Amino acid sequence: MVEVAVRGLTKAFGRVTAVRGISFTAPAGKVTGFLGPNGSGKTTTLRVVLGLIRPDAGAALIGGVPYGRLARPRRTVGALLEASGFHPGRRARDHLLVLADAAGIPGTRVDEVLGQVGLAAAADRRVREFSLGMRQRLGLAGALLGDPQVLLLDEPANGLDPAGIAWLRGLLRGLADDGRTVIVASHVLSEIAQTADHVVIVSAGQVRFAGALGDIGATGDALESAFLKLTATAG
Amino acid sequence: MLPLIRSEWRKLSTVRGAWLLLAAGPLLVVAGITGLVQSGGNVHDPATASKALAHVALAALFTLIFGIFAVAGEYRHGTITDTFLSSPDRGRVVTAKLAVYAAVGAVAGLISSVVAVAVTAAWWAAKGGIFHLWAADSWRTLAGGVAVNIAFAAIGVGIGALVRNLAVAIAAALAWIALIEGIAGQLVGSGLARWLPFSASEAAGRAGLTGVSRLLPQWGGGLVLAGYAVAFAVAAMVTTLRRDVT
Repeated sequence: MVEVAVRGLTKAFGRVTAVRGISFTAPAGKVTGFLGPNGSGKTTTLRVVLGLIRPDAGAALIGGVPYGRLARPRRTVGALLEASGFHPGRRARDHLLVLADAAGIPGTRVDEVLGQVGLAAAADRRVREFSLGMRQRLGLAGALLGDPQVLLLDEPANGLDPAGIAWLRGLLRGLADDGRTVIVASHVLSEIAQTADHVVIVSAGQVRFAGALGDIGATGDALESAFLKLTATAG
Repeated sequence: MLPLIRSEWRKLSTVRGAWLLLAAGPLLVVAGITGLVQSGGNVHDPATASKALAHVALAALFTLIFGIFAVAGEYRHGTITDTFLSSPDRGRVVTAKLAVYAAVGAVAGLISSVVAVAVTAAWWAAKGGIFHLWAADSWRTLAGGVAVNIAFAAIGVGIGALVRNLAVAIAAALAWIALIEGIAGQLVGSGLARWLPFSASEAAGRAGLTGVSRLLPQWGGGLVLAGYAVAFAVAAMVTTLRRDVT
């Protein structure tokens, strides 16, 4: 059981303050929806949690430890980020083997996750031939590779078809029911309303709401009106 | 460190561009030596032989590009994020890249050397000259050429880490070699121009040039080039550790 705790995170890029004092906790065994308009600081927060961005103040802890001090980061945390990518000329299996090599994960695990995300038949194709949905599945395979206790997923449904979205919903639910910590950043509120247990809503770099989904609106419509109200005062 | 080295090796061996870059150096050597002979190079003059073998050092242009791709290519395709997620200790990532690409530079230099010897021997035989592979200048030229290939690969890793934008990094490196160093050399005068990186690589990559005041002696060129490689490696380390990856 590894919880993710964000404490008083502040980060400015030049004169633009992306995040000002964000705090929240994502508990183990739950899906936490991380919501906010474009430019609200979601991606910055996720990247600080993953040690890619150094905060000006505050800290992000995974099971009490910053990402950079995890003994085996890929086996603890799996991440899917929007701006991360693939070499277009590399085959899907090779992409995952590169990650597995660096993390000391056996190569047999690569074929397991390729099967899990439904890419077994495309394993030997180069990524340039992949559709957006296939790339998304490959990214998810990378996140799942280390069988991690924590998953941080930025817009995981991006590019997936309706069957893929339903599959993803089941996957996330199953991961959380296993006792894992799942954080999903998304704009698709109807999807979050169906998947998340907790929601954290940020706007203009600050937390506007953090709590159980039921406290803010368990349906997509209710969540949407609450979201719009909470984020309208931004700025 | 071994897992990261294995991962770096897999990164480069699983894309076709890497193999094309590795083939480009020997091709340049074949074309360069053939051009030297066809344009009237005197196969009876021993200096022409070392001039032919010195093409090994020129082929280091491709190990430089190789090194740039190793880092800037990761920023270009966004794979750098996954690399740092696998190893949050970025110093180890840079060290692994330097180790792997120095080895790639050595292998590229050795392949170019073998090709250079074969092509030179073939042309010298065809033109009735006697090619002394065992002459000291031949060996020192080839050894210098391999060293330049290694140093340029490390410098490329440094440039890639500093600049990060792949197109800008490659354009800047090529512009430096083709244009800027020449102009800078004229501005500072030949006394200082000898210490510039491409001039140092010319000196390091060819033995038997005593009396060419434009260049440092071969060992001096080699030392200066090694100094540039270390400086770029340190700069790559320092900037990569500090920068945010957005």
